[in-house]
Amino acid sequence: MSHGHAKEFKVRWGMVVDVDKCTGCGACMVACQVENNISPMVRQDKENYLPSMTFERDDPSNKMRTLTWLMVYELSNRKDYPDHEVAFLPRPCMQCGNPACVPVCPVVATDKNEEGGIVSQIYPRCIGCRYCMAACPYHARYFNWFDPIWPKGMDKALSPRTSVRPRGVVEKCNFCHTRFLKAKERARQEGIDPNELPEGYYTPACVEVCPTGAITFGDLNNPEHKVHQLAHGKYAFRLLEKLGLDPQVYYLTKRDWVRKQGDNYLANEEPHAKKH
Amino acid sequence: MEEKRASKGSGGAIPFLIGFVLSAVFLWIIFPQVIYCQKDQPIRFSHTVHKEQGMECSGCHFFREDGSYAGLPSNEQCAECHTDLMGQDPAEAKYVKEFLEKGRAVPWLIYQYQPDNVYFSHKAHDGFECTDCHPNLGDSDTPPPHYRNVITGYSKQTMKMWQCERCHAEGGVSNACYVCHK
Amino acid sequence: MGLNRRRFITFAVGGAVGSLFTPVIWKLTDDVSIWTQNWGWIPRLKKGADSAVPTVSKLCASGCAVKVETVGGAPYGTKGNKDNPLSGGGICPLCASGAQLMNSPARVKGPMKKTGEGKYDPVSWDEALEVLAAKLKSAAGGDGKALFISGDDSGTANEVFSAFMAKLGQSGFYYMPGEAQAAGRAWRETMNGSGQVGFDIEDSDCVLFIGADALDSWGPTVRNQKAFDATHPLGAEAAAKYVYAGPVQTRTAAVCDKWVPVAPGGAAAFALGLAAILIKNGASASAADFAEFKSLVLAKFTPGQVEKMTGVKAAVLADVAKTLMEAQRPVVVPGALGGGAAGFAAGAALNVLLGRFNAKGGMVALPQAPKVVSGAMGPAQALGNDLAGYLAAVAAGKAKAPEVAMVYEANPVYALPQAETMSAGLAKAGFVVSFSTYLDETAAGADLILPAPHPYERFDDLQTPYGLGRFTYCLGAPVAEPQLDVRSTPDVILGLAAKLGQDLGFETFEDVLKAKVEAIGGNWDELAAGAAFTRSGQVSGGVSLGAATLGQAAFPAKATAPVAVAPVMRLNVGSGHVATPPHNPTTIRDTELKGSVMCVQVCKATAKQLGVSEGSKVKLTGAGGECKALVHVFEGVMPGVVAVPLGFGHTAWDEFSKGKGDNVNKILTARIEPGSGLTTWAGSTVNVAKM
Repeated sequence: MSHGHAKEFKVRWGMVVDVDKCTGCGACMVACQVENNISPMVRQDKENYLPSMTFERDDPSNKMRTLTWLMVYELSNRKDYPDHEVAFLPRPCMQCGNPACVPVCPVVATDKNEEGGIVSQIYPRCIGCRYCMAACPYHARYFNWFDPIWPKGMDKALSPRTSVRPRGVVEKCNFCHTRFLKAKERARQEGIDPNELPEGYYTPACVEVCPTGAITFGDLNNPEHKVHQLAHGKYAFRLLEKLGLDPQVYYLTKRDWVRKQGDNYLANEEPHAKKH
Repeated sequence: MEEKRASKGSGGAIPFLIGFVLSAVFLWIIFPQVIYCQKDQPIRFSHTVHKEQGMECSGCHFFREDGSYAGLPSNEQCAECHTDLMGQDPAEAKYVKEFLEKGRAVPWLIYQYQPDNVYFSHKAHDGFECTDCHPNLGDSDTPPPHYRNVITGYSKQTMKMWQCERCHAEGGVSNACYVCHK
Repeated sequence: MGLNRRRFITFAVGGAVGSLFTPVIWKLTDDVSIWTQNWGWIPRLKKGADSAVPTVSKLCASGCAVKVETVGGAPYGTKGNKDNPLSGGGICPLCASGAQLMNSPARVKGPMKKTGEGKYDPVSWDEALEVLAAKLKSAAGGDGKALFISGDDSGTANEVFSAFMAKLGQSGFYYMPGEAQAAGRAWRETMNGSGQVGFDIEDSDCVLFIGADALDSWGPTVRNQKAFDATHPLGAEAAAKYVYAGPVQTRTAAVCDKWVPVAPGGAAAFALGLAAILIKNGASASAADFAEFKSLVLAKFTPGQVEKMTGVKAAVLADVAKTLMEAQRPVVVPGALGGGAAGFAAGAALNVLLGRFNAKGGMVALPQAPKVVSGAMGPAQALGNDLAGYLAAVAAGKAKAPEVAMVYEANPVYALPQAETMSAGLAKAGFVVSFSTYLDETAAGADLILPAPHPYERFDDLQTPYGLGRFTYCLGAPVAEPQLDVRSTPDVILGLAAKLGQDLGFETFEDVLKAKVEAIGGNWDELAAGAAFTRSGQVSGGVSLGAATLGQAAFPAKATAPVAVAPVMRLNVGSGHVATPPHNPTTIRDTELKGSVMCVQVCKATAKQLGVSEGSKVKLTGAGGECKALVHVFEGVMPGVVAVPLGFGHTAWDEFSKGKGDNVNKILTARIEPGSGLTTWAGSTVNVAKM
């Protein structure tokens, strides 16, 4: 799949994140880990069958090793006190229209082929080569360097919605895809067309818990959904728009410096014209 | 050298064929018995007895409000009737004594148990007959034995991905990864 | 035909080829590949009905209205409760970890008795209660022999505790110091206010937060955030202006329209500086002490003087005053982080001057729910008791140590300012009992631990958490059966009361809550189903401007060390009561905690002045203790100020918080605020030395 050959979908699930409303509280990151069974960073694997091969795992402050499907970045306008400003930017998987990760996968463990346009990731199929991680310019993909370990008792409180991944596979945000499947199921039960889900039937965990309402979710193609208008609004932009990956995640800001950083421009470069 | 030449002439295909036939027959018969271990349900649950009481299938197997499927009834549902022993059947006595009274859920053996990475929606397959995929337990007095694959741990009757895909393809339904996986 | 080597090999090859015509090879290959997908140590998912059960979660200081997600009846996740105004669907990062904290390795599994330093033996509840009853019996007679510390400032459980103490002839019932306690006391004692003070942020079009990090850690954060959400519609112009004043560009400041840097300890002076400008522009109030207030602010809080005390330039101060004056419905929300009465009282006085007291979108005095347990301590007395002051006096030998100290849902050993002094005070108590869900620092040093259930396993309630602008009552019913040998603390106390021959009028805490729901006129079933009971209406009655107190208390304390400390609480790191939950370490930035060393933040100018740079190892020394940290240069901190993170440096709990960073409560300096007599630690100063 090269540029220009992106699949067309009737429904395109998309997110609009208002950077000016995000306080960086972290509730979304917690809800994401809970929903998707990302294990806490346990230092030692006490029950490993091969104790001689176990070693202390990385600390959660080593951000090269954490699994953060949704990562809230802290941005700075890089000015000195008192002109300094901060902004928080949550970054899920962009579910690109032209994903960079999909064509590089040698085993078709990741694909963008389902109605809705969510880029899939099938863990048992993944061979852990990490080409996709190298390809993704958003750093949205993560590798399981370790087997997941839950402290004793906590493994009883797993979410039924996401299968647990072993060591050696790549994973990423999938817009809480099981919630999409469940929403379709509910629609069928209620006699609604599952291919035309009403707004609010399908909401990812981060969107649901966000206390400041900074994240909105819906069908970008459906003019009745809020995200459609927001994505076409004057404050909307996308990350690294110039790469042409056509992300399904939009951001809003009224601050120019945030928008500029979102496309990683050089200090004196003027932003390119926005495309939709 | 003499020996060798002699044997060459005496039809080397025969031992080959014997080996071929023996191995093929043996492995066709023995292998399935070795790879599957037969297990009986923890309770001899009789569907016929329950049907005779006038119970509908959907009394226990039904869709919840959110469209998810309640495949097996919980202890609470069973206890709606089985507050005490209702009949003479030792299987019922075993259930009440060992599970209901102790508050333990019955570890039923599921014939079609799918891995955690599969999301199967009964609602999406509502148009099919149950017996298109499931064994017809509804008319059984003794549940059939469960065959567990000793390597994978799954049931012999667990549907494989190619079966899902074939039916989807034939029915014109998408075979995109995320239609079924989680 | 005999069998020779050649024939045997041919036979074997035939067998091998034959096997290829059976499913064996293919099936084995397939099965082995499936086998590799299901390692024994990878946990399986639970199946069953997926539902969301409403309750209240008291993990954060204010409490969240939540829906607990369960599968087959077992909690696994937590989300907000859309139908409850406390949540509106949102949740804080602590309560989002509720189900994980329920199964946390840090939980106390059953009653434990101390047998030696750091050594505990499990005991039965009967034995444990016998021991406690005996201790309390011997402590009876003479006030001051027993102490009860509650870290829950909105629950009816406090009525049970304080009534029990009253029946023992003890008045030592204390709340942990915090926003609710400091504001409540300042409101009643300094301002002569009645009812519970609150802020109707929802209906305001201009909110000035003075030191209140309201969109991250102050008050009912989720409701504050929802109010911000409602007035800042996506992709459109905001309907309200939000301004944050404080020494650090906090998360609240990050999304506010304006950040006004105000030096630590300068909040009161800043507010009075604004008051002076308002009065000059004709503002007035009918308060009895208006004249006194007026002469105070006009004489002592002119823009020039305020700049010296707070670092706020005259032009900036005038600009903020102008914003307030131009707004239709402005409200000032003062934070009391750092204790003391001045900061709160000055902000509250500003609201009165703006004519915003008991006005829509302003500061309101809310009615309080009637008491249901007879003999329970009223809010005036309970809020008036100053725990930090008392423990400091005990530590210094100026007050008699209690014989029995009981601690509920609080961690005074860790969370009090000047922590080492305070915990020394608590350690002087003859017998310490911790009613904690988790093995926190206080439990780890207690003589007896009587573990309480997690909020999802017990009945509990929330009565108008401090900061709300409306009378609100929420009920929490158990979602799951406790898996551990724990008992609800108010139930334990009711049992203990019966054992000691007291009659508190109730047998179970559930009955107490039922009486409470009836007293407020609520419906038990609706409340248990997650609805909130709200009532509009305010307590009328005039308030003073607190001039007498402010005249002494509003001036920043004299610095004893070169750098002022600005403690910053980030709710995802934890609160004083709950340490970092298992999933939260990944939400902590590597500019906040690196390995096991925390980072403190200073701006470039301060770093230069201190001779430190990014990553420098430093030691911060305050009057009562010291902390180790790394320097992170962050331009969102005022010059001359070091921003220090609260919530690190636990010595108990579990691997997710133990030994990570240092406890900055140690370096805060507790002192008595002139005028109010309250303990305050605002404007603490430290020495910062490169290590």
